[in-house]
Amino acid sequence: MESDLQQILADVEEALPAIESKAQFEQYKATVVGPNGKFTAATKTIGKLPPAERPGAGKLINEYKTRLQARFDEALRRLDSAELAAKVGPPVDVTLPSPDHGPGGAHLVSQVREEICSILRKIGFVVADGPEAETEYFCFDALNTPKDHPARDLHDTYYIHPETRFGNVSRKGGERFLLRTHTSSVQIRTMLEQPPPLRIIAPGRCFRRDTADATHSANFHQIEALYVDKGVTVRDLKADLDYLFRSLLGPDAETRFRPHYFSYTEPSFEVDFRSAHLGKVGSEWMEIMGCGMVDPAVFAEVGYDPEVWTGYAFGLGIERIAMTLYGIDDIRYLYQNDFRFLRQFA
Amino acid sequence: MIVSRNWIERYVGLDGIEDSAVEHALTMVGFEVEGVTRKGLPPLDNIVVGEVVSHDKHPNADRLSVCQVRVDDGNPRTIVCGAKNFADGDHVIVALPGAVLPGDFEIKVSKLRGVESQGMMCSERELGLGDDHAGIAVLADRPEIGTPVNEVFDAGDTLFDIEITPNRPDALSQTGIARELAAWFKRDLVYPDIRVNLLAGPGGHLIESVVSETEENCPHYRGYAIRGVKIGPSPRWLKTALESIGLRPVNNVVDATNFVLHELGQPLHAFDVRKIRGGRIIVRQARKGECITTLDEKKRTLDPGMMVIADAERSLVVAGVMGSVDAEVDDTTTDIFLESAYFNPSSVRRTARTLGLSTDSSYRFERGVDPRGAEFAALRCIDLIVELAGGEALGPPLVAGEPPFTEREIDLSTDWVRGCLGFDISDEDMAAHLASLELDVRETTDDNDRPLLRVGIPTFRLDLYRPIDLVEEILRLHGTDKVPPAEVRTHGLLAEDDPLVVFNRRVASLLIGRGYQEVAHYSLRDGVELKKWYGHCAEDSLALTNPLASDASHLRPSLIPGLLDCFAFNQARLNPLAPVFETGRVFREYDGKVFEMLSIAFALPREGAGGWLRREPVDFHAVARVAQDIFQQAGVSVDPARFEPVSGDSIWQEGHAARFGGFKMGFEAAFGVLSLNMTSQWDLRTPVCAGAVYFTPEYLKREPRRRRYQPFSAFPPATRDLALVVPVGTSAGHVRTELQRVARQAAKSTGIEVESVDVFDVYQGKGIPADAKSLAFSIVFRSAGRTLTDKEVNPVFDAIQAKIIEGTGYAVRK
Repeated sequence: MESDLQQILADVEEALPAIESKAQFEQYKATVVGPNGKFTAATKTIGKLPPAERPGAGKLINEYKTRLQARFDEALRRLDSAELAAKVGPPVDVTLPSPDHGPGGAHLVSQVREEICSILRKIGFVVADGPEAETEYFCFDALNTPKDHPARDLHDTYYIHPETRFGNVSRKGGERFLLRTHTSSVQIRTMLEQPPPLRIIAPGRCFRRDTADATHSANFHQIEALYVDKGVTVRDLKADLDYLFRSLLGPDAETRFRPHYFSYTEPSFEVDFRSAHLGKVGSEWMEIMGCGMVDPAVFAEVGYDPEVWTGYAFGLGIERIAMTLYGIDDIRYLYQNDFRFLRQFA
Repeated sequence: MIVSRNWIERYVGLDGIEDSAVEHALTMVGFEVEGVTRKGLPPLDNIVVGEVVSHDKHPNADRLSVCQVRVDDGNPRTIVCGAKNFADGDHVIVALPGAVLPGDFEIKVSKLRGVESQGMMCSERELGLGDDHAGIAVLADRPEIGTPVNEVFDAGDTLFDIEITPNRPDALSQTGIARELAAWFKRDLVYPDIRVNLLAGPGGHLIESVVSETEENCPHYRGYAIRGVKIGPSPRWLKTALESIGLRPVNNVVDATNFVLHELGQPLHAFDVRKIRGGRIIVRQARKGECITTLDEKKRTLDPGMMVIADAERSLVVAGVMGSVDAEVDDTTTDIFLESAYFNPSSVRRTARTLGLSTDSSYRFERGVDPRGAEFAALRCIDLIVELAGGEALGPPLVAGEPPFTEREIDLSTDWVRGCLGFDISDEDMAAHLASLELDVRETTDDNDRPLLRVGIPTFRLDLYRPIDLVEEILRLHGTDKVPPAEVRTHGLLAEDDPLVVFNRRVASLLIGRGYQEVAHYSLRDGVELKKWYGHCAEDSLALTNPLASDASHLRPSLIPGLLDCFAFNQARLNPLAPVFETGRVFREYDGKVFEMLSIAFALPREGAGGWLRREPVDFHAVARVAQDIFQQAGVSVDPARFEPVSGDSIWQEGHAARFGGFKMGFEAAFGVLSLNMTSQWDLRTPVCAGAVYFTPEYLKREPRRRRYQPFSAFPPATRDLALVVPVGTSAGHVRTELQRVARQAAKSTGIEVESVDVFDVYQGKGIPADAKSLAFSIVFRSAGRTLTDKEVNPVFDAIQAKIIEGTGYAVRK
């Protein structure tokens, strides 16, 4: 009898791996343990044995029954997982590149803008906003720019068609509309709206009537900063700019103030920086931005008492900083939108 | 402006100060140095005059000679030379071993083709003297053998090209810069001596009168008479000085006026007295249509906005700008009328700008010359003319008007200065810095007995009016590099970033997260393009008055053309196209007014991504989703049932695009497939799916509302599906809205809530009439308090079915 059982088990062990579906499995299983199965038939022979042998045979049958069941369970598990795997298809070649579009990414100018804003937010600045279409008052007059200053020329500044009326850009009087040449106009709009003290940064697009070349672009981006409080000093300005440039360019960055002239600050400075971190480029002083203490005439214009309030302002070109940080030698790449360029910074 | 070191050393001694220190000083006092050029011979050791004793052909090289050159009393040296332009007996320049030529070229004893050469005979270029490299320098005046080369040639000069800010007209001269350097280096400044004594002259005038008829534009005019000059070339020193700063010498009289202009910053004009008709000089506004031929030989028509210097008959000079050929000093001139005047800066500026003519003279008048500088400059110039061209000054000048009064004093509290600076500078240092700039400083005290500097401002400093102006002077001379480092002083102002900025950030990260690459294009676009695609904008309202180029003549009303530029550019470069977006300001017209709006636009090629595996093409619904997500970031809830199909539009493809919102709501959008006309205009090989969303800044700045929590049911929903056969042109949104309304009505007062009505299938084809389609909806019912039973739901569902058919012509599809 045992040899019969052994044979059945061997047959099952041989047959099961070839079975590929559950239906086939059930069918096969019935031929072994179903009512007419071979194993069932074998168990029935027990009745024909002499009573003394029956307990041994019963034990044997139970033992084989357990072993068979284990084989069937195993096969069923195999078929279950194969069935699940069929739902996700055949195995893939994991080394194939993704056929989907590459990653999205922020434009480099946006990245640098956000980096600078984030550095300055840490020292209490908040981001303000103002229109790109401006008027002569906000862009020049209120910033103490002399009436016949060359910056106001048709040669240097874009003016908007004289018949154009704006629905949401306010004017002081009947002055001309223009495209702002700097974000300093946001200083004026903010101060006219809010009482001091304030500490704002205004990133945004500016326009100058320049012929495009490697360092000039018909539009570019600036970040303006304005800090108004009691007792703001030149030393604070220097300290805050040192902090900004060390944050941007690394702890070895140095800044240098050169006396300069802007109509809306007094004293005014141009700022040079250098940083060993930038290698050869960083070893020479490089001009990077302008700054100064807010001219009392500007405070008077917006109704802040110049005897009480002091402040500083600075403005820096985002493209210029980006080009310095990333070693880009032509500003036009920033507006050309070649994917191979843009993705380098994604 | 070019500053010549040799020239300024006439007024300030810079002994022992290297060029680099001068460059640094100029930078630190506020004149950015744009270039430093070294001219002439630098100091050189071991380079001396030698004499060629003999020369022979090199045994091994046809082009070389072997020369015997004597440089001292000893034996001649052997020098191998490649030049041919000398003869035995010529005196030449010999660089001996150990000499270092400009460019760090060290001379050593070396073998040339087997012959040892003990030095080198130099060309002018090798010495840094000039460009001549045709042969070695042969010294025609035969200096003594052994003379060091620096004794043979003039010392060189160093030229600094500096930028002078518009507030500093006082620095537009060599003495102006010398004054700044004297202050920085704390050295003495010496102005030129005046030798002439007009009262000692014979007296009298060469013309009868000088009149200013335009006193506002010419408050002060002086005319000096010099008789008996002899016009000729200027001496070497004067030519060298003028040439060093880029001027062309003309003759001794003209050169003298030019020299003084650049020495003192006061423009002067010399007239040939013979050419002044009627014996009168009249300063007046030009007559309408009056013509003049300026010295650059251009005939110019003047207008009454321009001031001229005229004689009794005609204008001779465009005042402060340029003279005419009619009164020019020429080789035969003997008597000179010398003008020195103060002209109103804005008058000269206007004239120069109208004529498109900027001269050294107009540049200085425009910015403002020293109102009291005319007399000194004239006297200086007379000294030079008499020295160079002979003649004599007759006596005191003819004068019209008086210099404007500009004297003033500023009281400066030293405590206040320290308060502005945020660090210590002693009162003494402040006073010394100001005094070094020739400001008149007196120490005194204020009412509270605190120290005060009473500062008299010299007439040439047109920029100093207020105490704060003096803070800058003190800081400049103290050295901005001495501002001590400090901690950042910071405290929060408890404000938030502008809502536009916050929104922009959120949208950018949304789109970047969805795989869109941000791009950036110029805000100015082509007017023709605008008219073609955005013809609904009035042509002029977005136009610039003064565009630089026709393809950048108008403000952009949309970001879409830029995105197409991006695709066209990358397609041309064979870069696979990918989803892009841009955010920025656009300018849109509504009811005759232009509004600056924030726009977000995105685009992606309709063909799906791919490579080894093609992806499904993108369709309207994909971009509609993106537009909805953008609106969600702005807190706008979007119901696609309110999308309106776009038709008859130049930009969007009919049947594949929609609009949403409207200007009056504060936002609007269009999205879908871009018109195929448009994409083919850009030569794109794939249709483009895109969207453009616009917000008014005012909308984004509205007060944010915090949402209230809505309780939600813990019980399961009951769902019923309903397919409606509707006319093929009926929009799903319309049917859904209607069905939702009917369902809510039917459920009213049953305690059952209609939670949602959603389309889950659209079908056309077998079993449906050709002019109809089937829309399948699933209606979800729920109760807040219990599990719904069929018994409750079925009557409601039946009522809905009955109601929706009523009056609509829809049929329920069984």
